[in-house]
Amino acid sequence: MPSEWEPRILAFLCNWCSYAGADLAGVSRIQYPPNLRIIRVPCSGRINPFFLLRGLQNGADGVLVSGCHPGDCHYISGNLAARRKFALLKELMKYAGLEPERVQFTWVSASEGGRFAAIAEKVIGQIRKLGPNKKLVKSHG
Amino acid sequence: MAESRQLEAQLRETAEKLLREKNVSLFVGYEKASLPFRTTPLLLTKTEEAPRLVWNPFCNANLSVYLPRLFLAPADARAAKAAPAPPRVGVVLKGCDSRAVAVLLQEKQVRRENLVLVGIHCPGIVDRRKAEKALGEHQALGAGEDGGGNIRVVVEDGTESTLRREDVLADACLECRSPAPALHDILLGAPGEAARTGTARPGTARTRTAEFESRPLEARWAGFQEVIARCIRCNACRQACPLCYCKTCIFEQNRPRWIGPGTDPSDLALYHLIRAFHLAGRCTECGACERACPMGIDVRLLARKLSAEVEDLYGYRPGESVEATPVLSSFALDDPQDFVTEP
Repeated sequence: MPSEWEPRILAFLCNWCSYAGADLAGVSRIQYPPNLRIIRVPCSGRINPFFLLRGLQNGADGVLVSGCHPGDCHYISGNLAARRKFALLKELMKYAGLEPERVQFTWVSASEGGRFAAIAEKVIGQIRKLGPNKKLVKSHG
Repeated sequence: MAESRQLEAQLRETAEKLLREKNVSLFVGYEKASLPFRTTPLLLTKTEEAPRLVWNPFCNANLSVYLPRLFLAPADARAAKAAPAPPRVGVVLKGCDSRAVAVLLQEKQVRRENLVLVGIHCPGIVDRRKAEKALGEHQALGAGEDGGGNIRVVVEDGTESTLRREDVLADACLECRSPAPALHDILLGAPGEAARTGTARPGTARTRTAEFESRPLEARWAGFQEVIARCIRCNACRQACPLCYCKTCIFEQNRPRWIGPGTDPSDLALYHLIRAFHLAGRCTECGACERACPMGIDVRLLARKLSAEVEDLYGYRPGESVEATPVLSSFALDDPQDFVTEP
C-alpha cells in the first residue's frame, strides 16, 4: 500500500438530520479527518443499495450512510424502511466475503455535531485499517 | 410411475375442460421436449391440443413467468382503448410456482380474477445436469419415470438404466419446504408425494448457508468469485424468474448505465449481488434460475442467505400470503438494528 494512500469514503447523509448534523460539526469547528465525500439525499429511504455498491465499484474505499434516528424521520418512516434494506445488504455483503466495515449505517440527528464527528472518525479509522478497496473496484482501461 | 401418468391424464382433462367451457382462453403447461430430461413450455389455445400436455419429473420451468406480461398496463389512454381485454389464463403450478403467483398478486402484477391456478402436489423435479452426470459417459436417448418414482433412462447402446430419484432431484427440490401448492383453484395429485420421492428435506438450505458462512471472510470472497467466474452474463437466470418483471431492467438500462454488460469481475460481482438483492424477501426458492443457467452456476448462493435472513429478522416467508405487506415495504419500530454503527 503506498504511504500516501488516503481512504476515500462516500457519505450519504439525509437532508433533514444527518446533513444538518454534519453542518453543525462544521460550524462548531469540531475536527475530524477530511476523508468523507458527502452526498446529500432527501432521506435515507431514498438510498438504493445499488448506489453503495456502485460507489465501491467506482473506487470508494468505504461508504457511510446516515439518516434520522428511528422515529424522527422527516417523512415519518423513510429511515425505518431503509433500515430493513440496509440490514439485509450488510448481511449479504458479509456473506459474499466483503469486509462489513466498508459499508456502515448510522443515525445522526441535526443537533449531534459531536456524534457525527465521532462516527466519522471511527468509520475512517476502520477503513484506513482495512486498506484500499480492491474487491469490488473496477479497473478501467 | 402410475401416479404421474394418472396426473397427466387428469391435467389434460382439466385443461381440455377449461378451454372447452371457455373458462380460459389460454392454458400454460408443459410439453415433451426433443431432448431427454427436458420439457418445454406449452401455450395452449385449442381444446384439441390438450393431449400435448405432459406432467413428468422434468417439468422444471416456473410457468408463472409468463403471467405478468399478459397483464401489462397500456402505455396511455389511447393504447388502453385499442388494447384487448386481458385474457383468462389457466396455468400449471408446482408448490414453489404457486408461491411465485402469490408474490405476483401481492405486487399487483397479475389479476386474480383472470387466473385459473391448477396446482399439482409436487414430487420434486429432476436436475438435468445431475442426471447427465450420473450417466457418466453414456448419452441418454430417452427418459421416463418407473413405477417407484425413479428415473428410467435409455442410453445410446439401447440399454436401460435406472437413476434413483433422490440422487438426481434438483437442489431446490431437496431444499423445498412446502411442495404443496398453497394457492390454487384446482388441485391435482395427493399430498405425501414429496415424502416418497425424497423431496423436501427441511434445513438443507440452512445447512448449506451455514457451511458457506463458517468459512473465513477471504475464503467466502474466493468462494463467491469461484461460483460466478463462469457467468457469461446471458441473463437466463433473470428471464427464468417470474419475479424479474421490470420493464426496463437495471442491467440493461442506459443513461445512466449502471453496470457494464460484460464479464469484468467487478461487474459480475455486482450483477449477482444486485440480482440477489432485488429478490430479497420475494424469492420463493423455485430454483428456475439455477436450472436455466447454461453454465451450471449455483446462482442461488446469495439468495439462500437472504431468504434465511428475511425469515430470521422479520419472520417473513415470501409467497405464503397474498394479503401480507411485502417485507421490504413494511417495517416495525423495533426492527433489529445491531448492524448500525455507533461512535
